[in-house]
Amino acid sequence: MKFAFFAAALFSALPWLIQAQPIDPAANVWDGVVNIDASMQVPDYREPWNGGRPAGGSGTGFLIGKNRFLTNAHVVSNATKLVLRSSNDPEPHPARIVFIAHDCDLAILEAVDSKHFEHLTPLSLGGIPKLNTEVIAVGYPIGGDRISVTRGVVSRIDFRQYSHSGVDSHLAIQVDAAINPGNSGGPVLQDGKVVGVAFQGYSGNVAQNVGYMIPVPVIQRFLKDVEDGQYDHYVDLALSDFPIENPAQRKALGLADDGIGVMVGSVEPAGAAGAALQTGDVILAIDGGAVYNNGLIKLDDELVNMNEVVERKFAGDTIQVDFLRAGKKQSASIELKRFEPYVRLGSIYDERPRYLVYAGLVFQPLERNLMDAHGIQDPLVNYIFDNFLGDKLYVERPEPVILTSVLPDEVNTFLTPYANGVVDEINGVKITRLSDVKTALAKKNGDEPFIVVKLLEVNRPLVLRRDLAESAHPRIMQKYNITENAYLGE
Amino acid sequence: MKSFLLTALAVLPFTASAQNPDRINAPEASAAPSTAGAIRASARDALGDGIIKTQSLLKVNVTYQSYSPHIPWQKDSPSARRGLGVVLKDNQILVTAQMVADATYIELEQAESGQKLTAKVKAVDYEANLAVVVAESEDKAKGFFSELIPMALDSSSRIGEALSVWQIGPVGDLIVTPLRVSKVETARYFVDGSVFLVYEGNGIIRSEANSFTLPVVKGGKLAGLLLRYDSKNQSTTVLPAPIIEHFLKDTADGEYEGFPNLGVEFQLTLDEQFRDYLGMKPGDGGMYVSQVLKGMTGDKIGLKEGDIITSVNGFAIDSRGNYRDPQYGTLSVSHVVRGRAFVGDALTVTVIREGKPVTLEGQLFRKDPSQMIVSPYRFDRGPNYLLSGGLLFQELSQTYLAAFGSERQSGAVLRLARIAKNPEAFEEKGCEKIIFLSAVLPTPSAQGYERMGGQIVEEVNGTVIKDLTDLETAFKKPIDGIHIIKLGEFPHLLHIDAIAMERDNIAITTGGYRVSQLKRIE
Repeated sequence: MKFAFFAAALFSALPWLIQAQPIDPAANVWDGVVNIDASMQVPDYREPWNGGRPAGGSGTGFLIGKNRFLTNAHVVSNATKLVLRSSNDPEPHPARIVFIAHDCDLAILEAVDSKHFEHLTPLSLGGIPKLNTEVIAVGYPIGGDRISVTRGVVSRIDFRQYSHSGVDSHLAIQVDAAINPGNSGGPVLQDGKVVGVAFQGYSGNVAQNVGYMIPVPVIQRFLKDVEDGQYDHYVDLALSDFPIENPAQRKALGLADDGIGVMVGSVEPAGAAGAALQTGDVILAIDGGAVYNNGLIKLDDELVNMNEVVERKFAGDTIQVDFLRAGKKQSASIELKRFEPYVRLGSIYDERPRYLVYAGLVFQPLERNLMDAHGIQDPLVNYIFDNFLGDKLYVERPEPVILTSVLPDEVNTFLTPYANGVVDEINGVKITRLSDVKTALAKKNGDEPFIVVKLLEVNRPLVLRRDLAESAHPRIMQKYNITENAYLGE
Repeated sequence: MKSFLLTALAVLPFTASAQNPDRINAPEASAAPSTAGAIRASARDALGDGIIKTQSLLKVNVTYQSYSPHIPWQKDSPSARRGLGVVLKDNQILVTAQMVADATYIELEQAESGQKLTAKVKAVDYEANLAVVVAESEDKAKGFFSELIPMALDSSSRIGEALSVWQIGPVGDLIVTPLRVSKVETARYFVDGSVFLVYEGNGIIRSEANSFTLPVVKGGKLAGLLLRYDSKNQSTTVLPAPIIEHFLKDTADGEYEGFPNLGVEFQLTLDEQFRDYLGMKPGDGGMYVSQVLKGMTGDKIGLKEGDIITSVNGFAIDSRGNYRDPQYGTLSVSHVVRGRAFVGDALTVTVIREGKPVTLEGQLFRKDPSQMIVSPYRFDRGPNYLLSGGLLFQELSQTYLAAFGSERQSGAVLRLARIAKNPEAFEEKGCEKIIFLSAVLPTPSAQGYERMGGQIVEEVNGTVIKDLTDLETAFKKPIDGIHIIKLGEFPHLLHIDAIAMERDNIAITTGGYRVSQLKRIE
């Protein structure tokens, strides 16, 4: 879950004594923990027609079922080749991705040839460990061949941003066991059972001895989601709640003084709740559970953010929302779905960068990968990216298209200052996504000899003579070593 | 791309170099040959010790204090500026507007005797970056000015001419540096959008105290004021006499009208394919009108987006937006409609519209920045605001946005900056100003709203808010004892108890926040 006004889930924080935990190496619980060697190709969003930059990395995974290894999505993202190695077998075994979930940083791999791992016992999942109980992290940190075990206690259970996508937040458990690069994807164990997947930490200058693991509810949700053979992503109400702390607001909205009810501060029209709820509504209950005025709800005897109810559901599930509108009690059944406009604000993996080049004009869709790669300083582009949801810009333009660069040639030399402009229309066709650019460029208005590109907030059209552009195009492609005119996605 | 749009307010570049008390200049009278006569004309060898002095310059010491854009009832800590002023007739002293911006105390100082006189601003134009200061008390002025010799203006400078920059050393000695005019063009002065005539020159200017806004002299007459000196490139920008003349002429009748503004954005027409598209023939001049701002001269005479301006007041316009000036050669047309023109002057513009020539006629007009929906700059007066129940409401202005600096700005600031750049929707709604909730001082009545800020105020208690006065009036009419505030962004809706708000207003002025006044609506 990802909205700005997202409160932390609360758990009781009683100071238990550290419980000594017997670790019996003879149980061979670690045999199923494997090293994953990943070769990857990092896409190049500046030169989107290029193959990208080769890179490599190493992480950990563990057996959870017959030829099924669980690991982090970030260990195997953008992978071109994957190899598994187990502790007592130096042989590399090629592997492939079965399911990958970038929004919760989990992936399932399988060995191409399963028989090497048939004799290993899968690890089994436990529950949510208590605060201040001991856990051990098992993995192959810092690239070593031999397994490493570190020990620590559970120090906090909280909602936290998952840095792999940079926009999703889920439950995460903080431990003070040393978790280092390479531990990623490895199991964190308590009483011989998996209580989490080690996945991120902090660099030393922010915090020390802080590591995070993905807890069992998130893992189980992932496993359940893929049962039907595909990953359907998290679903989202796509609304922001505003805590009702002000007595005048409580009174004006017609609430009793019982601490129940949170105001809808904004709701995405294209989101799951878009049709049912509106700004100023007061959510009283979700699935019969009372929602408090700070947006929390009681779940399994713990107060957690009301979005946790949604977190545990799947696409197509429904929730029942009781709410107050203009003082009147109402109820709506909301079918949950993924909120698509949100996706481009996060990092995208395993996808080829999309682009279109015409007469040296390079068009690319606005997404986080593009922003990061180009370091765009243009205030309009930054405004659109930062306010894409807040100002509902996605309604008009689901995929804003940026003229990211102009590859200089005599045909376009006067247009080079307009790089990083946001494309409004081409040849009279409104550009709402990259594929529109292709359609619009092909459009001929009678015998009109010009191609006319309008940029948002640039008060002059960019004009190319079609005949000159057509003859310059192959020359530019050849000069700048671009083999394909466009990649518009699959 | 030429632009007369008034956009962001940028912070002033300090003109010459910083003062350096350790440096003592050798009292040499090494005036360039072309200026030696000039010094004799207005300077005299007072002590017979070889030190050349002038009786036409005064040191000007200014203490200034600007209002805090984000805490509008407070002023930031005071600082000082030290520069030179040129003595004009009638005991008037000419300085740049930069010198006196947000001044709290101005004093004139005789370079040699150190005698001081308190002064006040008589007229100021922040766009033309010029100000006239006079003695605060006329009685004291008499003795102070008795030995001073007013300087006349000389507007005749051309490219290639030798001028000299005057500075005053520690004992009142005159330091003269030659300067040759290498270029005459239009450039930005001080506030954004203030593009006027400048002389560009090369020469090294030494670091001295009072080196802010130095006089530039030709034959003993004032040819301009130093606007900028770039020590790295040794390039000098001079605010020239023709603009000073314009300013003084305008101030003479006591009613200052200022320079006209056209309110039109232009584009060059150098791109062959663009010219083709516009139907321009090879060799045709003209510039493309890309934006016409409402209520300004261009709008009033009927210019439209897409017009190609081919001549202005009889001067033919080339594809770069330049005309041929009889004195300076190729120069931006902005000088014709702004620098050398007065409000009320006739304006004739010929354009090509849909392939046919059209002549537009009218008068040059000035829209005052204070009339603009998003004020481009504001000096000497604090920002307008209304503080109620801890909720701080302000007018959206470039000064407010500029105070965030240039570091990567967050979503809310980017959104406000974009609204400031494109306020048309608010103008169409009839808004005089764009009012937004800028911050919240935590109070009991604003419980739960402490972290808010950056939301446009649309409606309060059913009244559409078009300026701060509307807001003040609306807060007098709560609905069933509660104020209902509708915002343009999350969370869209706030409620505040009317009585609790009044109670907090008293607490804000007397309690921990010690806010001196709850509003400034001027």
